Amino acid sequence: MKPQRTGIGGKIHRARTIRFSFDGTSYEGHPGDTLASALLANGIVLFGRSFKYHRPRGVVSAGIDEPNALVTVLRGDVREPNIPATTIEIFDGLVAVSQNRFPSLAFDLNAINQLGGKLLGAGFYYKTFMGPVIGPLRGTRFWMFCEHFIRRAAGLGRAGEAHDTARYERVNAFCDVLIVGGGPAGLMAARAAAEKGDRVILAEFDPTFGGSAKWSGETIDGQPADIWTQFVADDLRSMPNVTLLPRTLVWGYYDSDTMAALERVSDHKVKAETGEPRHRSWTIRAGRVILATGALERPIVFPGNDRPGVMLASAAQRYAGEYGITVGSRVAVFTNNDSAYTALAAMKAAECSSLVVVDVRSQISPAARAAASHAGVELLLGQAVVGTRGYPSLSSIKVQRFDPSSLTTSGVARSISVDALLVSGGWSPTLHLASQAGGRPVWDEEIQAFTPPQPLQNWMAAGAARGAFSTAEAVAEGYAAGGGETADDAEPLPETEPTILLSKPARVFEIKAKGKAFVDFQHDVTADDVRLAHQEGFVSVEHLKRYTTLGMGTDQGKTSNVPGLAIMAEVSGRQIPEVGTTRFRPPYAPVSIGALAAERFGDLKPERLTPMHDWHVEQGAEMMPAGLWFRPRIYAQPGETIEQSYVRETRAARNEAGIVDVSTLGKIAVQGPDAALFLDRVYTNTFSTLPINKARYGLMLREDGFVLDDGTTWRLGQNEFLMTTTTANAGKVMQHLEYLLDVIWPDLKVHLTSVTDQWAGAAIGGPRAREILSTCVQGTKVDNATLPFMGIVHGTIAQVPVMICRLSFSGEMAFEVYCGAGHGQHVWNALLSAGQGFGLVAYGMEALGTMRIEKGHVTGAEIDGRTTARDLHLDWMLSKKKSFVGSAMMDREGLSGPDRLQLVGLVSLDGRALSGGAHIVEHVDPEAPSHSLGHVTAACYSPSLGKYIGLALVSGGKGRRETRAFVSDPLRNRFGPVEIVSHHMFDPQGTRMHG
Amino acid sequence: MVEQLSPLGAAYRPGRHGRVNDTVGATLSERQPGSIVQLAAWSGQEDAMRALIKDISGLELPATSGGGTAEPAKAAFGIAPGKVLLIDDTDGIFADYSAALPENIGVVTDLSHGRSAIRIVGPSAEWVLSKLFAIDFTSGAFPVGAGRSTTHHDIFTQMQRSGEDQFDLYVFRSFARSFWQTLCHAAGEVGYEVI
Repeated sequence: MKPQRTGIGGKIHRARTIRFSFDGTSYEGHPGDTLASALLANGIVLFGRSFKYHRPRGVVSAGIDEPNALVTVLRGDVREPNIPATTIEIFDGLVAVSQNRFPSLAFDLNAINQLGGKLLGAGFYYKTFMGPVIGPLRGTRFWMFCEHFIRRAAGLGRAGEAHDTARYERVNAFCDVLIVGGGPAGLMAARAAAEKGDRVILAEFDPTFGGSAKWSGETIDGQPADIWTQFVADDLRSMPNVTLLPRTLVWGYYDSDTMAALERVSDHKVKAETGEPRHRSWTIRAGRVILATGALERPIVFPGNDRPGVMLASAAQRYAGEYGITVGSRVAVFTNNDSAYTALAAMKAAECSSLVVVDVRSQISPAARAAASHAGVELLLGQAVVGTRGYPSLSSIKVQRFDPSSLTTSGVARSISVDALLVSGGWSPTLHLASQAGGRPVWDEEIQAFTPPQPLQNWMAAGAARGAFSTAEAVAEGYAAGGGETADDAEPLPETEPTILLSKPARVFEIKAKGKAFVDFQHDVTADDVRLAHQEGFVSVEHLKRYTTLGMGTDQGKTSNVPGLAIMAEVSGRQIPEVGTTRFRPPYAPVSIGALAAERFGDLKPERLTPMHDWHVEQGAEMMPAGLWFRPRIYAQPGETIEQSYVRETRAARNEAGIVDVSTLGKIAVQGPDAALFLDRVYTNTFSTLPINKARYGLMLREDGFVLDDGTTWRLGQNEFLMTTTTANAGKVMQHLEYLLDVIWPDLKVHLTSVTDQWAGAAIGGPRAREILSTCVQGTKVDNATLPFMGIVHGTIAQVPVMICRLSFSGEMAFEVYCGAGHGQHVWNALLSAGQGFGLVAYGMEALGTMRIEKGHVTGAEIDGRTTARDLHLDWMLSKKKSFVGSAMMDREGLSGPDRLQLVGLVSLDGRALSGGAHIVEHVDPEAPSHSLGHVTAACYSPSLGKYIGLALVSGGKGRRETRAFVSDPLRNRFGPVEIVSHHMFDPQGTRMHG
Repeated sequence: MVEQLSPLGAAYRPGRHGRVNDTVGATLSERQPGSIVQLAAWSGQEDAMRALIKDISGLELPATSGGGTAEPAKAAFGIAPGKVLLIDDTDGIFADYSAALPENIGVVTDLSHGRSAIRIVGPSAEWVLSKLFAIDFTSGAFPVGAGRSTTHHDIFTQMQRSGEDQFDLYVFRSFARSFWQTLCHAAGEVGYEVI
């Protein structure tokens, strides 16, 4: 018989039907079903194909530990692979497909891999694809040749390429207590902590709270356990200091009890509500953490243990109790401990026609014997399952006498016809988060499992997560962990049934017999692979993991970890604790990348806009990023190329007047009685002598003597300066200055404030710039006497207060007009209006760059962190009268040699454009590149000179002036002659600037 | 008097947005106070600075980290050791403090154009802000009047709880539009209204 829905039972809502599809076939289920339970209810036992061998695989578990039943969920064109069918809540219209099979799940051609046998064992890739020493496939080429085919034949699901349109968010939360796990232990912990007044967050992976109490069939506090858990959950939900997070995976434990969690907000819905995210990434900063994460049942390793129909005993119990499903009619239980006997009653209630228990132990507890008797099962003690048969799913098992002390089988194998085999190899506390928090897990001999380590952070485990498997212990430990009152006169704890069938397993992890016995189902790692790894010298558990891939994959070895370690211990003659376990790392289970990106999804960086940004866009400017800023590159007219645009703009600025938005320049208010002294220390030149309402060009070095930044600083008052920096270095300079004040000179009375955004800036320059200003500035003159070079005046433009400094980056007679940023557009408009009769043109970064290249002014391209003031011919700014940051280091050997890269100008001699980044060489030969003398830092067409020109950093550059060299740019196939000239290529005397 | 141009541009869309409910989870608005100034006291002069603020603005600031007070037309809160952000609906507050602040107490900086003021108010204000900032927004940890300096998505933000369910956020003007869009996006889940 195939699995089917029972007539009654389960917690699903049978009155409503949900329709979904799997591999193109429509099925029906009910609210409360997972994809796995709904498919089982429809008689589906084949869920997928295995990683390497493409063996048919069914469902093994009923929860997050599922290694086999991985499917791909489709939402439109968006595909999300490798989701355990046991964790997918069905909804109307759900479309899921199986994966890693061709052409179909039922008939998979790659199943031929099973014939590969040992060839495909551990280390297959390393051994097979070393490649020949010679020939066309030498070295790694053979691997690269084969890789394409191997990748197609082996693996998990296929990622999609369609744009994920889902919404993802993140949220920060703070609480006194975070409780992970909403079973009886977690619920009691939450109740106790909440009643004390703590701020509590209770996170549960499942859609509903209750854990195993939802399907165990026991009673708590005189009620069915699932009713009791819902009652407690409802109670908690009504408390204002409690946040309940169902459908939430707590996946990471980080420093200072900071926890990472993923909430599946709308995965279970046909369509997310407007504004509702699909997933929400929680960062929870907890005062303390209670781990009530329960335990995971382990399989036993035996030949054919991966055949569909073989599943964990607790899974079958859950399918029966929570989903109303019988997993078969002829059911066998194979166990090494008592806990599996709790499944017998559930199987009987789920209408199984025959039951047999195969127990490796010769002696079992009276309680287990009574449970078997009550269920009317055939009891085969001291025996083991040594094989399975059936295709594609289980039809029979082979059972043989077994000695648990020698771990050997004997006698004649007996075949038993079954359609489901429920396996229990004991239970492992879910200690992953505790392990992530630090410390080594501790082996517990009684339960044959690792238990949580000594806490190194503020957490404690309660119930099964600690290795205490009874419901009574869960209730009591949860309550105590939550801080509940435990005095004699305290309110009694909810009454629980005595738990008499506990997991104290025999030390049996593997049954050795002929056939593939799987340890790690997801990666097709067999017991023989583990032995082979040991034989080949991989004796460390960390090496074992990486060589065999045991414990890797999306399930991270939840079911395979302990059995794998046990086999490794056995072959190496060590005990399991000596072998140890790998340190668990986040995430506990897969997390969507979108949730980690959250609101940054599709929006990697914020945009920084100047006050005149919208005007630039409206004028058709092509905007370009400058760090986070957006600046106009060119204001192209119809049909113009970039070069034509900037040449036109440059000519206008040189011949008439141009205006450019310089609001992005970094601006720092330097205030306080020691401000001038501070500037003397941070700049290479002196600022304490600067008169009020005057500006000075300043150069800043790093401590190591290299140039940090340059800019003008304006003295606005006796103790008040406005420092400007390059756009790119504003943050870096601010950080540098704050460090100096906080750490080096805390005695100085200086405050720094970023005022970049306080001011809108417009630089207006050109032969007619002063005329334009004189027509629109009120309250001050702008003539040469009132506003000399580097002078500052205050006035108004169109009724808005402005501050004007006469300085120039373009080489023209130019003025920087600053006003409050909120008035920036208003003043900009007024300047444009004033300039209408004077040929004023707005220009962008390309024209600005052209004019500065013509003038040989440096920017970040030359101040690249490797150049000194001398390299840039700025040594005239190095004061000899004072020390300053960098002065002690700037003269060291190597920073002043004649062969250093020095700033030069370049003129293209072949009439073709130069490109930034091209090398400068003495002789050009594309086939035999010669030694690089340096590189081009900036290039343009100079309308003033009528040539293509550039700036470059060239070894011994000053001494090479008026000589010929070549550009060598193999990447862009650009080679050609250039003349090295002075970097002052246009108006070297500065007559245009000074008027 | 020329009014300041909002940096939000077309991103400022009055009306209801996001999830449609009977009530909105948050109401978003751009405030345009006449004055935003930063007052920075020299070490040891913090009490004197607070006394000056009380004299000039009538605001009594607690001597606690981030301590502040909010009134309908003016507010102030600590943004860093010795530093206070003062907001006033009145223009020209910078000039008042420039004239009154002795050099030995500290300095005042005008940020009236440099910072944009955004207000979020409503039952879901804490929830929306929790999506953006790693701050405990519960009233016990973040009382009315108090301020915080923090960052979101590379955007430095100073904020004050100006009411039980009301927060005023001050961001660099050039980032304001980007921040506003992020804030609206975050509020979409609870439904929001822009006024």
